[in-house]
Amino acid sequence: MPKKVPNNSGLVLKFIPVMAVAGLILLPVCGYATQLHASSEGIITHQMGHFFFLFSMVALIFTITGKGLDKQKGWRLIQYSAFFFILWNLDVMVTHFFDNQIHVVKIETISIGKVRIITNNDSSMLVWFYYVLKLDHLLCVPAMLFLYRGLSNLVENQRQAKAEKDTP
Amino acid sequence: MIVSFIPILSVDVIGSVSMVVISLLTLYKARILRETDRDNAVFLYLLWISTGFTLFAVSRSFGHILRQFLILTSNADTWHAISPYTGSVNTVSFMLVGLITLFFNQCWNINEKILTGRKKLEDTHIKLMDLNQTLEHKVIERTEMLTSSEHKCRRIFEQSLDTIIVTDSEFRIMEINPAGIALTGYTRDEMIMKKMTVGSFFADLSEWERIHNKIGLKEYILNEETEFLRPDNESLLVLITGGIDYGAFGCAKSYHFIIKNVNEKKQMEQQIAQADKLAALGELSAGVAHEINNPLGIILGYTQLLLKQEPEHKEDLKIIEKHVKNCKTVVSDLLSFSRKGSPELSIVDINKVVDGVIKFLSNHSDFRNIEMSLNPHKGDRLNILGNEQELAQVMVNLVINACHAVDGKGHIDITTRKADQDKILILVKDNGKGIEKKNLSRIFDPFFTTKPVGQGTGLGLSVGYGIIKRHQGDICVKSSEGKGTLFTISLPANRT
Repeated sequence: MPKKVPNNSGLVLKFIPVMAVAGLILLPVCGYATQLHASSEGIITHQMGHFFFLFSMVALIFTITGKGLDKQKGWRLIQYSAFFFILWNLDVMVTHFFDNQIHVVKIETISIGKVRIITNNDSSMLVWFYYVLKLDHLLCVPAMLFLYRGLSNLVENQRQAKAEKDTP
Repeated sequence: MIVSFIPILSVDVIGSVSMVVISLLTLYKARILRETDRDNAVFLYLLWISTGFTLFAVSRSFGHILRQFLILTSNADTWHAISPYTGSVNTVSFMLVGLITLFFNQCWNINEKILTGRKKLEDTHIKLMDLNQTLEHKVIERTEMLTSSEHKCRRIFEQSLDTIIVTDSEFRIMEINPAGIALTGYTRDEMIMKKMTVGSFFADLSEWERIHNKIGLKEYILNEETEFLRPDNESLLVLITGGIDYGAFGCAKSYHFIIKNVNEKKQMEQQIAQADKLAALGELSAGVAHEINNPLGIILGYTQLLLKQEPEHKEDLKIIEKHVKNCKTVVSDLLSFSRKGSPELSIVDINKVVDGVIKFLSNHSDFRNIEMSLNPHKGDRLNILGNEQELAQVMVNLVINACHAVDGKGHIDITTRKADQDKILILVKDNGKGIEKKNLSRIFDPFFTTKPVGQGTGLGLSVGYGIIKRHQGDICVKSSEGKGTLFTISLPANRT
């Protein structure tokens, strides 16, 4: 019969946690319970949110087209709504980029009717571009309106279909 | 650069308010859309996304309006303190909208599956409805067929002139048709309530045992001839056919019997056979009587001539004369039994004949202890065209036979009545010892008698039979041993 050779690997594995605990006790360093966040983290998260929103709207447009729903007026209006939301997202992403990320534009309120827009390079074109970007409701309100019209149209279609079904 | 803030401010405020209003209207429409079809997953999705947009619009608009208000009222610091929170809520709301939007494809697929499932369900429902309708039609059709079949069977059962009986496995009667009720003489309730068995109709229980065993062995019986006994003690000859029914659709085992009354048929057959036999005997008797009558006449003539000469053997000659006269009486009776020609006929009142016979016999010593009763027909006269003396002879024979049957003590009832417009019946009934079954078919045979030798010639009933037959009538007998005998004479009524 072959002689049984003793296996020492189990003993070594048991020894590792003991060594780790000993190291922590004998060699102490500063430990932080939570990670610190930089102040720019908020705007990046916000921008990522806008990007995610934009991406979902693009996906919605393609999904509607992919399923052939764009032939129906209601779904086509919802597509328009998604398109305007894409534009709105681009608008606000650029605005946030200018004033919160690279800080090239700054607004100071002078009175209720006047504001001063300050740019780093005194570019009037950037001022007016920024001014137009600030009118973002001109994109999101139509987007919301198209969504409302789209749903109204779907409701109307549904009622007509039901009326046709109920007609003997 | 200083620019006008009014456009930005007005677009911001009006836009924010518009966003809130339109988003709420959108949510309202989404709710209506959802209500039109609550099982539609896409409509549910649109309700979710509208809710998300409303949250987004309200949170964003609130933030914008608050910002403009605080900055314009020189509370920029307050706004700076609040702005991270409103911004975060805003971020969460449009991320939520984005997240919901990405589920459109899944919602659409789920809805497609639901619609496909619903379509299949509707198709199956339509098929099921069709099948159900077909089934209903078939059930109606089969029910009509079954009703018709049941009606036919019921009519056969009710209208059958033969008895039909259905019994349980213990031969207890469950169903019996009207013919059966008439045949057995029991009421339906009596038979069913008292749980009577088929065996209770049998006159002889050993006969039922035999039939019972035969059914057990062969599972059927075919045209078994047996005798039934009615509650009024009348016996009937019947042919019984029966079999076992193991039952279908969980029905219990039962037996079916068809019983045919062959009593009248049998009686008729017996009567025909009897008539044939008696006719043959009549022919024979007439021949023999004719051949014997002449020599007897010569013997009697010479004997009487010798007696006139006062011979030596006078006593012997008287004995010869006496016995020759007896022989001549027998020969005369035989001739009377077989006589073909009609005697002198006249209108005869049966009641008068019967009355005369009773009056004549009641004075006889043999009838002292016998109670004779006459029940004559009341109303019109019972006239027949016949020979009064011959008819009286028949009646005398029957009453004397009844007297012998009751052994000098008992009742004899004589009844006359009209059976219908064409027939007159004379019934002679006694409560004597009755006639044995084996002798019933022979009582009208010439020289048949049960009396001791020398007490009867056995020609009385034969002669009576011959007389009645010559009158185009009929005579029949019913007898129960130990209970009595009934002779019934039927004669054609005279219509003139």
